[in-house]
Amino acid sequence: METVFIIVLSLMALGLLLGFLRFVKGPTAADRAVALDTMSVIATAALVLLGLMFKRYIYIDVALIYAVLGFIGVIVIARFIEKAL
Amino acid sequence: MITYVVIFSILAVLLVASALYAVIQKDLLAAVISTGVVSLILSVFFYLMQAPDVALTEAAIGIALTTIIFVITIRNTSRNEDETVDNNLEKF
Repeated sequence: METVFIIVLSLMALGLLLGFLRFVKGPTAADRAVALDTMSVIATAALVLLGLMFKRYIYIDVALIYAVLGFIGVIVIARFIEKAL
Repeated sequence: MITYVVIFSILAVLLVASALYAVIQKDLLAAVISTGVVSLILSVFFYLMQAPDVALTEAAIGIALTTIIFVITIRNTSRNEDETVDNNLEKF
């Protein structure tokens, strides 16, 4: 079971790294906003997995709050790019 | 244990890189998004250090409140950093 956690965490770290690459390279602000959203989703999944790994199920609440609030932040940035804020 | 060291190292490098990027970036909207990335990685850091309440507060303040306030500020002022400097120089 420990091996599965290690493999999945490594893949998530790789995904975070690739999202960060897009964030640094992205020519427009929209690319960066989408990269932030991608990284936020990957981090949420990683938080759930770590809560499962530590066997503390109260930790999953953090991922819940993070999913809701990350959505709000990305929506605000998108509305600003759309010039509709 | 080695897994923790590797994950902490990757996260620390990403944290410092995105913080530097927020400082040197001239497009202020990109700098705000970069601040969001800093907050995200910092929240995962707090979580890994077994402090979920601090991670919860960091997530709430960092990605929602700070982003919204900064985006409203950019809308009311200027998006490009150089323009802001020029405006200030003309004003004073």
